[in-house]
Amino acid sequence: MPESIPAPLIIDTLKDTFREARGGSTREPLGWILSVPDTHQKTVLAALDKERALRVVTCATEDEANAIGAGLWIGGEPVVLMIQHAGLYASVNTLRGVAMDGRVPMFYMIGLLQRERDRDPKESRHSMVRFAEPLLDTFSVPHARLEGPNDVHLIPEYYRLSRERRGPTAVLVGLETS
Amino acid sequence: MAIKPEDILKAIAAARGNAICVPTMTTSPAWRTLAPDDLSIGCVGFMGGASSLGLGLALSVPDRRVVVFDGDGSLLMQLGSLATIAGAAPRNLTHLLFKNGVYHTSGSQDIPGGLTVDFVQMAKGAGYRKAYAVSDFEDFKRRLPSMLTDEGPLFVELHTGLADKTPMTDRGGQPFHQQVESLRQKLHKAG
Repeated sequence: MPESIPAPLIIDTLKDTFREARGGSTREPLGWILSVPDTHQKTVLAALDKERALRVVTCATEDEANAIGAGLWIGGEPVVLMIQHAGLYASVNTLRGVAMDGRVPMFYMIGLLQRERDRDPKESRHSMVRFAEPLLDTFSVPHARLEGPNDVHLIPEYYRLSRERRGPTAVLVGLETS
Repeated sequence: MAIKPEDILKAIAAARGNAICVPTMTTSPAWRTLAPDDLSIGCVGFMGGASSLGLGLALSVPDRRVVVFDGDGSLLMQLGSLATIAGAAPRNLTHLLFKNGVYHTSGSQDIPGGLTVDFVQMAKGAGYRKAYAVSDFEDFKRRLPSMLTDEGPLFVELHTGLADKTPMTDRGGQPFHQQVESLRQKLHKAG
């Protein structure tokens, strides 16, 4: 059964991921979070509000987040995009144009709002949950599920993978963060 | 009389110094000729993204000016970027809007609202530090030095005619991924 992941664990993992991306440097901001606020990850967003080591840019759309992320990466800054599955659907052209055609490493944390605890996402009653993984598969975007605290190691792994393959990767946040 | 976009681009090319430029749509062919192999990156393949790409660059390279050459049809596709830019408040971002009132590449259909759309008011309302319109080339030349140095985010609506070339009539230039890599390497070398 999936479990909720505590926000502090995600924040600490993001900090470690960014420190590694900067070769161990601790200069601040450690990295950038581009967020189109996702209800599913609201405890993380609330914790980020108080966090000084990470800089958050709240974007009006996921399209913007993709293009801003490209600019930051070109300038040498580490970036994570926090969005919701609905935002993934809304921004596939930019994902294609920026992260895929532009060969820009882009790592997404995608909240699966309304994912049922007792059901595989691919069998969800909700289309926005059900189609997220097939859509990523269609675009050949490597992805993994964050199904509980033991899965947070996937955050740095998929972040690194996006750099190695010069393109998009994603983790899907299974249950609402706590 | 509307300003020729090529005249604006020539003046910017001469005055920009080490600024990073982000052309899109009908400014791209002329800019390629005026500033080959320089610190530029075109918004290609995701229309409407120039302002956001420029914002990311401005945040990551705060010691350089970033100048976006946006289009009115393009900006309408991601109008929310005005608020996102104002919220992030990059002091080194100049957002130039080449306003011609039409979708030039597809046959010059009017943009929604045509020339009556007031982007200056939108930028001011979003929270840009300064926003104004320029409809005369002499006025543009007079103001250009401050456009490249004033504290941003700065928005300038430029009342222009149609460019001589469009990405449809003058194809070419590097693919986006090559521009990405090229600019990244140049910025890395520059430290």
